[in-house]
Amino acid sequence: MMLALASRNIWRNKRRTLLTLTAMVVSSSLLILALGVFSGMLDDMLSAATEQYRGHIVISVPGYQQDREMFAAFAPDADLIADLGKRREILGISPRLRGFGLLSHAHSTYPAELLGVRPNDERQVTNLADHLVAGSYPAPQAQSEALLGRELAKKLGVMPGDELVFVTQAADGSIGNDLLTVTGIFATGDAVHDNNLVLVPLPWLQRVLVMEGQVHELAMRIEHPRDAGGMANQLNTSLPAKLAATAWGALMPELQEAILSFDASRLVVATILYLATGLGILNTFYMSVMERTREFGVLMALGMRCWQIRMLVLTETLIMGLVALTVGCGLGGLMTMYMQRVGIDLSEHLTPITYAGSTILPRLHAANELGNYLLPAALMLIIAVLAGWLPARRAARLQPAAALRED
Amino acid sequence: MRQCTRITLLLFSMATLLAVSGHAEVVTNLDLRALIREVEDQYTGTSSHANMTMQVSTEHWKRSLKMEAWSMGRDQFLIRILEPAKERDVATLKNGREVWNYLPKVDRIIKIPPSMMGGAWMGSHITNNDLVKQAHIDQDYEFSMLTETDDFWRIEGLPKPEAAVVWGKIIYQVGKADRVPQRVEYFDEAMVKVREILFDQVKTIDNRRLPLRMIVQPMDKPEEQTLLQYHQIEFDIPLNEDFFSLRNLKRR
Repeated sequence: MMLALASRNIWRNKRRTLLTLTAMVVSSSLLILALGVFSGMLDDMLSAATEQYRGHIVISVPGYQQDREMFAAFAPDADLIADLGKRREILGISPRLRGFGLLSHAHSTYPAELLGVRPNDERQVTNLADHLVAGSYPAPQAQSEALLGRELAKKLGVMPGDELVFVTQAADGSIGNDLLTVTGIFATGDAVHDNNLVLVPLPWLQRVLVMEGQVHELAMRIEHPRDAGGMANQLNTSLPAKLAATAWGALMPELQEAILSFDASRLVVATILYLATGLGILNTFYMSVMERTREFGVLMALGMRCWQIRMLVLTETLIMGLVALTVGCGLGGLMTMYMQRVGIDLSEHLTPITYAGSTILPRLHAANELGNYLLPAALMLIIAVLAGWLPARRAARLQPAAALRED
Repeated sequence: MRQCTRITLLLFSMATLLAVSGHAEVVTNLDLRALIREVEDQYTGTSSHANMTMQVSTEHWKRSLKMEAWSMGRDQFLIRILEPAKERDVATLKNGREVWNYLPKVDRIIKIPPSMMGGAWMGSHITNNDLVKQAHIDQDYEFSMLTETDDFWRIEGLPKPEAAVVWGKIIYQVGKADRVPQRVEYFDEAMVKVREILFDQVKTIDNRRLPLRMIVQPMDKPEEQTLLQYHQIEFDIPLNEDFFSLRNLKRR
């Protein structure tokens, strides 16, 4: 009976109800969109840092990730890689060897970081293949093909097909040197990688550095990058003693901090938005209860109890809250999906910002996350109940005779 | 009689004083800059040709290189590796402040960029900067006498304010008898001793006194060192500018 009464009451003044509902729907859907865009930015930052270069988790000799010491290498056990590959949450494993040296073409010579990889494995971990601006990604059986950053290519004056000389100090102290052929050029927007990084075939680099069979790290891509910390801890229990797994959060603490603080600031935005909306909703409900003072007087005169009046008003607000919530989430979801698929490209107006070891891309782009719906939904219900509570209390405290006399 | 003795004493002491001050004058007149220049240029002369072995031992590798070197003045030299076979014909050319490497395996010449001048030369404890800046030490530093004994001088070099230098301080210990360096100590900007070079096996070659062995010792890694042994060296040989060209660097 209470439900029927409440819903009938809601629809008695359509304009008022629709206005309130619109305010609730607009605020919740916009909040969902805003949170989605925030998530998109965090995902961009995280993927710029991890999926363009580092990987979500890397296994290496402890200390290697800090010092990049050439001799902190290991020969990866085939069983180890096979075991890791069996885990469902690991999407890709790429064995890598890293070498620093000079890269030269014609009369230009620049220092560079060479990452020896197996192209097919590396593709499962990083997405440089999606950032090509010229040429192609190295073939799986590449012998001496190099993929390098746009700025480095520009400085050296090379195009795909051109030849490069790499010189370095090999692990035996000799001068390691050999020729490479440029196969592709990538542009990530990250100044450091575009200026320094060169992908070369793993066996080629192992030979030049005189480090046959050795690698510096196993970089991995996992299903849920935000859970990398826990997973690294879990991996560490089963790894050989001389190896350690490190998650991106430990590799780039500043990025982890940045992401945590962005996450916190989302809450602040949500609170401010809902404070404003909440006051509006409270006002509407209060007015609707004031307008219906006579009606409540009649109801009480007919024998309705105080708590029933209170329940009635609360039920009304709750119904409206639930309707607004459903429509709001739906609308917010649609807008988020649009921004996820299409997004807004700002690269004409803005350049990428390198921040906290990562890159903020000049685009508005959303990511869909369950948390982005739960928060607005929960807040919406709390606001609705709060906004209903005060008017309901007033309605319940009315004296029937006095209420009847009111206009 | 007493008077006489007194006068004799006076004369004697005056003579001693004169002798001492005369000696002191010799020391202050010693041109430190010229001495250091002499020390730094000891292996070059107007031109030179040498055969040597470089033995490098580090934590991670031990290697021995047989090399042949030519120089002209203080600004040009060419070093070619003879052994081991794997690195045969790898060559380094210094021309002024530039260093070039020739890599026979890929048949290419590479100029060492400024950012890499601090890097090791041929995997040793000698840097590319050493090859280049050594020739300017007498111009880039101000020298003063630290101590003097019967056997050697200890001379301190501090960088001139405007000079672009690698070391914060250099101390030369030079033997008085043959004006040959015994030990050179290198300090960083924080005045911490970073490495020292020891010289020994002094021989006379072409009327010059020359230490034939040089040991570079990094202070932070006492178990590591680079040893340079001259087997044969000759001076004032006929060489011209063309010899120190990139074209000749490439010649096998």
